[in-house]
Amino acid sequence: MFTAVEHWWQRQQQLQKPWQQQRYIAFDAEMSGLEVKQDQLLSMGWLTMRPPVIDYGSAHYHLFSHAELDLKQSPVVHGLLSADFENSSDLRSSLEALASELEGAILLCHNITLDWNFLRRAAKPFGIRFKPLALIDTLRFEYRRMQRQQHHIERGSLSLQACRKRYGLPDYNSHHALSDALACAELFLAQAYRYGATEHTTTRSLAQVSRR
Amino acid sequence: MQPEFDDVKRFLLNCPPFDVLNDETLNACVQQLKAIYLNEQTVETLFKQHSPALYIVRSGGYDLLLPNGHLIEHLEAYDLFGYPSMLSGREVKNKLSVVHDGIVYIVPERVFHQLRRESNAFEQYFIRAHERRLLEETAGSGVLQAGQASRRREPIANNQLDLRIAEVIQKAPISLPSTASIQEAAQAMREHKVSSVMVVDDERMVGILTDRDLRNRVVAEGLPFTLNINAVMTQAPRSVYGKQTLIDALAVMTQYNVHHLPVLDDDDKPLGMLTNTDLMRQQRSEPVMLISALNKADSLEALVAEAAQIPVYMRTFAASAGHGSAVGRLLASLTDTMTRRLIELYEREHGVAPARYAWLAFGSQGREDQTLSSDQDNGLLLADNLTEEQLQWFAGLAEFVCQGLYQCGIPLCPGNIMASNPDCRHPLDGWLARFREWTRSPTPKALMYCQIFFDSRMVMGNKQLYNNYREQVAKLGQSEFFLGNLARLQNNVSVPLGLFNRFRGTESGKDSDLIDIKRYGIAVINDIVRTYSLHAGLTAPQTLQRLQLLQQSRLLSPRDNQALGEAWQFLTQLRLQHQLEVWGTDAAKNALDPDDLSTLTRRQLKSAFRVIRDSQQGVALKFGRGGA
Repeated sequence: MFTAVEHWWQRQQQLQKPWQQQRYIAFDAEMSGLEVKQDQLLSMGWLTMRPPVIDYGSAHYHLFSHAELDLKQSPVVHGLLSADFENSSDLRSSLEALASELEGAILLCHNITLDWNFLRRAAKPFGIRFKPLALIDTLRFEYRRMQRQQHHIERGSLSLQACRKRYGLPDYNSHHALSDALACAELFLAQAYRYGATEHTTTRSLAQVSRR
Repeated sequence: MQPEFDDVKRFLLNCPPFDVLNDETLNACVQQLKAIYLNEQTVETLFKQHSPALYIVRSGGYDLLLPNGHLIEHLEAYDLFGYPSMLSGREVKNKLSVVHDGIVYIVPERVFHQLRRESNAFEQYFIRAHERRLLEETAGSGVLQAGQASRRREPIANNQLDLRIAEVIQKAPISLPSTASIQEAAQAMREHKVSSVMVVDDERMVGILTDRDLRNRVVAEGLPFTLNINAVMTQAPRSVYGKQTLIDALAVMTQYNVHHLPVLDDDDKPLGMLTNTDLMRQQRSEPVMLISALNKADSLEALVAEAAQIPVYMRTFAASAGHGSAVGRLLASLTDTMTRRLIELYEREHGVAPARYAWLAFGSQGREDQTLSSDQDNGLLLADNLTEEQLQWFAGLAEFVCQGLYQCGIPLCPGNIMASNPDCRHPLDGWLARFREWTRSPTPKALMYCQIFFDSRMVMGNKQLYNNYREQVAKLGQSEFFLGNLARLQNNVSVPLGLFNRFRGTESGKDSDLIDIKRYGIAVINDIVRTYSLHAGLTAPQTLQRLQLLQQSRLLSPRDNQALGEAWQFLTQLRLQHQLEVWGTDAAKNALDPDDLSTLTRRQLKSAFRVIRDSQQGVALKFGRGGA
């Protein structure tokens, strides 16, 4: 029990640090559908970001093939063709790699609930547990900011693309897990530096802004 | 599985010189990139923690500053910086300040050197950029579009008309002394398989004899073959100089309906013979047909009808021409031809010219950098002591030619610099008085005149009269006082880069983003080169030719000379491309939006403006002390 408490305490200390001193894992996944119970993870991509730098060398990308997967009605999901799956990764080892990177890091996603639920469900059969320091959702961050600044929030205005546009970030047109993870990392940097934070804002308070 | 970054790759492919890397190298490069979010809080860390490196602006805007705070350059998307320190091994001293937050890619030093080793083109780009020689790759090969950086100059049929005659003639002339017999001449033609011989005494060409002359003047007349050839040759035939272009030769041949043109060097010694077959071999037939159609038009109406085809034709020609300067030259040649034809038509009605004269082309026609929107700039140099009646004849000629050119599509000069204006018709003394006045009391208006009148060529008339005029005008142009004022005037035009190397629109109203590359580019180079030429006493009006003649100049270094020439060619080509694009619309003909240009072209345009700015300072320094 003592180690658990110590662990908890360390995490709290870590969260008190300024947000720029954390390690972030920007993550995105593509699924065969939106139903956690029946749909599957098709691909995931992530990379490491230490504000203000994103390291392309840290990028990971994995595709998964599923025997039972018929790719639904369409042969193309998220731009993935059946042929792409020939280079597929092992689901278990990919999830283990992600879990170890998330240790002590902050998970960063655009619309995090979906990704987080899929991840946990996929990991469960292997007994893998993800223990990120905190979760940050760039969509939620943007929603709260716009609400606070009393913007009218139109349909579609919270998409990754639309949010990036508001910060003058370049258009990325590929819908690819890694590309979206990268887009999300850049968006978070713009959000955090412009609105979320001063020099000494703690990670905790930033994470609260964007928590569900 | 190997992660791929398609969006980043696509961006880099539009960002020279990354477009020259092969796919494998580009992937390896992308996987070693870092991206940094730059704003006021993070900008300090860039040079502190990530230097040396090559930086690529992906978004946002930044100012690059000297250590003392002076702005060097404004950086925006697609701009590269940081590489000089890796090439020179010197520490980064410059500073960066953020105008708009954004993302900058970092190519670490190790990766940069790796890319240089893998691609020679990549390496060359940075060496040129470092030495500010970015324009070099366009010299003669036109404006390169992004993605076509490896395109090399290819011979284009039309382009050949731009060649100097001396480059085309294949062998020394077949020549005989005037005392040779007709039979010897015929034997020489047979032996060398040529259709003409040049008659040369003491290294001077005195005539030519063609196979047609043998038929018409010897056989048909029943003359003996033993006669000396000077009895039947054509004396003092039309000739051209080796330094002239094929377009010039073409114009002469069609104008006088001759098929053989003796070619002389600068000392009037024979270089060779140019035949119409040589010309045919060199180019497609359209320009020949057009010029010859203009020459054959036997009424004003017919001439106007032929001239109406010029814009359509020029569009095809321009699109396939190797570089913009060929187009300017062809247009000037067409205008020359129309002018000569109009003079002939006038003479047919009113009798031949009652005295010696020279029809002068000024401004862009004089410089041979005409465009389809250039207006007329011309004048008449008259013999001395003409009677009122003779003056009336020339007044009538001028009116007829200027109106005729107008009907042929060459706009009237809004400043009335046309032979139809009595102020532009003078004997030698009258012209010299005007030039003297301009050079001695250089009001802004006088200086503006000088920019037009000092660039002159004779289109038709008496060569001796013109040469005498030209030499005396050149002497007046050498006045230090005058040059000093001219130098200050050109220095007043500020290049649209401002202090920050950021493009600055030159227009007003809704066009405020546009840059007039004629007024703030080409014309400024013309002004700079004119100043050096006047100082050197040169009489050639063409900017590129002037630069060539200035190669021995002690005032203009060979490097600056080359840079000016390259910048001029680049801007001329860019203007031509722009004019082709806006053809038939009412968009500005000389002003363009830098945002519409490819990344490389934008960098080259900045480079060209930098060359101009540096040269302006040079001129101000060298000549600016003279004058008031």
